[in-house]
Amino acid sequence: MNQMMKLSFLWLAMTLLSIFPVSAATPVPREIPAPAESNIDFAADIKPILERSCTKCHANGKRKGGFSIDHLHSFIGGGDSGPAVIEGKSAESLLIKLVLSNDPDERMPSKGDRLTLADIAVLRAWIDQGLKWEKGFTFAKFRNAPVAPRKVELPPGAETNPVDRLLAPYYRKHKVDPAVSASDRIFVRRVFLDTIGLLPSPAELAAFRDDERPDKHVHLVGGLLNDKQNYSAHWITFWSDCFRNSYTRQYHGGGGKRITDWLKKSLEENKPYDRFVRELINPVGGSDGFIKGVAWRGTVNASQVVEMQAAQNVAQVFLGLNIKCASCHDSFINDWTLKQTYALASIFSEGPMDVHRCNKPIGEKATPAFLYPEIGNIDPAAPRNQRVKQLSEIITSPKNGRLARTVVNRLWAIFFGRGLVEPVDEMDNPTWNQDLLDWLAVDFVDHGYNLKHTMKLLLTSKAYHRPSVALDEDDGDYIFEGPVVRRLSAEQFLDGLDQVIVAASGDASNRKTGRTRAGLRNLDRLMRTLGRPKRDVVVTRRESTATTAQLIELSNGKPLADLMVRGGKAWGGAGHGSGAIVDALFANAISRAPSEQEMKSARQAVGEPANAQGIEDLLWMLSLHPEFQLIH
Amino acid sequence: MKTNTNRRDFISSASAATLGALAAGYPSASAAVKAKAQSLNSTADTVIVLWMAGGMASTDTFDPKRYVPYEKGLDPKRVLSTFPAIDTAVDGLKFTEGLEKTAAVMDRGTLIKTYRAADLGFILHSRHQYHWHTAYEPPLTVAAPHIGSWISRSLGPLNPDLPAFIDIGQTFDSGEKESLKAFHTAGFLGSEFAPFFLVEPDQAVEAVKPPGGMSDARFARRYQAYKKLLADSPIQRHGSEYQRQSLLRSIDNAHRLLSSAKARKAFDLSLEPKESYETYKVGGRFGLGCLLARRLTEAGARFIEVTHGYYPFKYWDTHDNGHTRMKELKAMIDAPIAQLVLDLEERKLLDRTLIVVASEFSRDMMMEGKPEKRVKDQVNVPPKIDGLQHYGMHRHFTGAGSVLLFGGGVKKGFVYGETADERPCTTVKDPVTTEQLHASIYRALGISHDHHYNVEQRPFYVTPDGTAEPVMDLFG
Repeated sequence: MNQMMKLSFLWLAMTLLSIFPVSAATPVPREIPAPAESNIDFAADIKPILERSCTKCHANGKRKGGFSIDHLHSFIGGGDSGPAVIEGKSAESLLIKLVLSNDPDERMPSKGDRLTLADIAVLRAWIDQGLKWEKGFTFAKFRNAPVAPRKVELPPGAETNPVDRLLAPYYRKHKVDPAVSASDRIFVRRVFLDTIGLLPSPAELAAFRDDERPDKHVHLVGGLLNDKQNYSAHWITFWSDCFRNSYTRQYHGGGGKRITDWLKKSLEENKPYDRFVRELINPVGGSDGFIKGVAWRGTVNASQVVEMQAAQNVAQVFLGLNIKCASCHDSFINDWTLKQTYALASIFSEGPMDVHRCNKPIGEKATPAFLYPEIGNIDPAAPRNQRVKQLSEIITSPKNGRLARTVVNRLWAIFFGRGLVEPVDEMDNPTWNQDLLDWLAVDFVDHGYNLKHTMKLLLTSKAYHRPSVALDEDDGDYIFEGPVVRRLSAEQFLDGLDQVIVAASGDASNRKTGRTRAGLRNLDRLMRTLGRPKRDVVVTRRESTATTAQLIELSNGKPLADLMVRGGKAWGGAGHGSGAIVDALFANAISRAPSEQEMKSARQAVGEPANAQGIEDLLWMLSLHPEFQLIH
Repeated sequence: MKTNTNRRDFISSASAATLGALAAGYPSASAAVKAKAQSLNSTADTVIVLWMAGGMASTDTFDPKRYVPYEKGLDPKRVLSTFPAIDTAVDGLKFTEGLEKTAAVMDRGTLIKTYRAADLGFILHSRHQYHWHTAYEPPLTVAAPHIGSWISRSLGPLNPDLPAFIDIGQTFDSGEKESLKAFHTAGFLGSEFAPFFLVEPDQAVEAVKPPGGMSDARFARRYQAYKKLLADSPIQRHGSEYQRQSLLRSIDNAHRLLSSAKARKAFDLSLEPKESYETYKVGGRFGLGCLLARRLTEAGARFIEVTHGYYPFKYWDTHDNGHTRMKELKAMIDAPIAQLVLDLEERKLLDRTLIVVASEFSRDMMMEGKPEKRVKDQVNVPPKIDGLQHYGMHRHFTGAGSVLLFGGGVKKGFVYGETADERPCTTVKDPVTTEQLHASIYRALGISHDHHYNVEQRPFYVTPDGTAEPVMDLFG
């Protein structure tokens, strides 16, 4: 509605009201006002009226008199007294009759302030103009998880690892046998890929098998987490996806600054997570790309200015909050409002930001503020650099339990294939184990925001050691029984193949891929096909199901074919017999010896004596073998 | 040799052959998914987009205005077209010189004169191309799917042995490549619906063959040996598992395509009769792309895009020498477009195949942007034209652009919209936005403009907020 029109209309309505004062005592209804003449906008004109006067009894699951306004269809459908509105016929609509009524038995709202005649005129116009509702909008309210940390006492029990101790009652309740565990081979392979993104060499697997210490898995996990270079080369993939850290992107108009060096170093030194986050929000040298975002040349939608990108991405990555919807209008999927989002965004803004609703200014300036004032606040009068610093401190304050819950949940989801809360970017959703989530979060903070501490806790638990389970994508009733089978990432797949090829040289040194690790290389066609994102939007979890396009690329694409040729040459030139080559490829690729039957088939493929093409083909078969492709 | 196989025969036989495996076929929409997506009666089964990447000047192609021939010292303000107008098969409709063959088939098609590109501020080709291909203006918080991916997701392949979305001719090794990549994706729909890329049409068959140098026999043997190895594997004895199933199903699909003689025939331009091949070949990579599109349409493709590729300052991105370059560009597209229309007509496929010839915006000699929303000039236009390099449509014009449509239920010999005869030669009647164009293409396929899928708990529509209406006047 045109602002001027709206104002003059309001003035007119108020004048009318003062001339014809309403007496609540008389059961004679108020006179019906003419419909407003302006074009009605649901969000701007209708929603506030309904929120003020109707939602208390008729929304968010409440349906007094059988009437709910949560959705348009329920609104039109009406309640026990029949349809509430008739599209195009406001004068005949029950709703208008009830809001005009002075009869205490039927008037609506039944208590509190009446709707003004101006409001009723607007409602009439809305009905007459076709009841336009914002797509997807609902008055239903959403769950908000507590933000403060919550201390959980470890239950008594025999388990030494707190994760297992916390899971014991859960297992009892859900009748899960706590005693089962995966084989050494499955465990070692899993933990290598999860910590450093590489396959265990046959020698490393054998060393673990031969280790007789009862806590050998603790030693293994500790050792892997201490392999700083490989740890960093693996984890840079996850964090670069989160921070949109493309190694190659250049946008016209600037933006897309790389933070690779800072990230690599931070991972190598296992920077405490609170400092890590502070440096990303309030940048030090080299960490400014995340907040700077992507500035496109030309004009962009108000919800995509760099300040808004910063707000959206900080909320998503660090707090598991989706405020993307609320960057345009009050959210339909949670309780975040446009003004709250602008308040967060304007922390990053030099000057005051004009609040835009659906890309149109609403004539208000935003006041910088944090999303959860109970944790701390921003001084709106402070200059930008101080506001950003304040934000970085508030977010990483121990009072913010959300930061820790979000990141421990991410770690859990990475290692176990499914989060304690799902989706991992919707941290207001309920968790399947609140005590576990809350305990891990507090423990993480108590240990100086040490990511490796929590990783070690998870990876040395019996829970992580359990056999993997298959999980359909749409499985609604989730019960934790062990890590979910996952697929290798593009980077793990390529590094693994490199390892298998390099192993032909007989070089006993482990954890070598013969070239720069895939996670540090630029995006190429093969990695893109295998699911490495372009990093133009935040990605906190990749697709893990195989696609036809991927398998076409893996079956006839040049990059993989070239790799196979390299492998064929390497193993063909190593001077082994067919049987030895089959054994070695199995051991290096899928960490086990072939069965008798497999040996027979594989030898047939490799040829007698082994030829390079045959080796290539076996290598290809193994690279697409579920035992290679999947993390069990 | 003429390919006489009627597409529907081909499809029904292909379907019969693979009936049992249909569920496991190329990412195929289930009947229920398709029925939900296809809520309206369709007039087309297949869409071919012929993409004039770089900004095709309408007054030098399909919407001629006053022609002022080149002379030294010419005042650029006087020039609206740098080519004389020619007749088309439609009374009263003129094209510019150099498009005679397309002009001759205009009685089979519709010309939209009034495509209006969005206002995105400073002109950037990749952003406008992103918008054209997704109906959403970048940047976005959710990766928007390419129109081909929407169609692939909604309807699945027409022939389950072929990828539903085939993209011909675009490479990603030139300027703005990252931005180009950003919309050549299925976005949030997931990579199952991503484009199947064929860069060089005359090497397209390589994409559906064993890798370089590998014989068919070895390829088949390798696959058989793989299956055998899996059957022998202890893991196969451990019941089923979602991840493994999707992997094995995808390998089967891939090998079905890579071993399909019919698919290979469709992709193999060397099987085309020489005369026909030469007709298309005058258009270089673009022309052969049109030929490939025809062959794939015969084989049952669902969505095909053909382009010579977007390269900054090349092809239609005429920042200089517009007139001279336009001659070559028109020679590149004229015969292939016309031949594609005629070939599909001859094969009785044109009625159910919608061809869309489009570009991200138009060009003008003087105006950057549109009259009511001018933006910063990117090309210097001298007060007097002293050389051919300054003679042409060099600035980016978003006020009115041409879109050609053939087949797929659109009117024949029809013109939609009016443009001004004097500069600015902008839309004066019946503007068509990118969003409306999308809604119209979806409408032809029977997909409603408010069809959507959910992402992050919210609906994401084929047109923004599901609000863009199709231009129903375009349809017969």
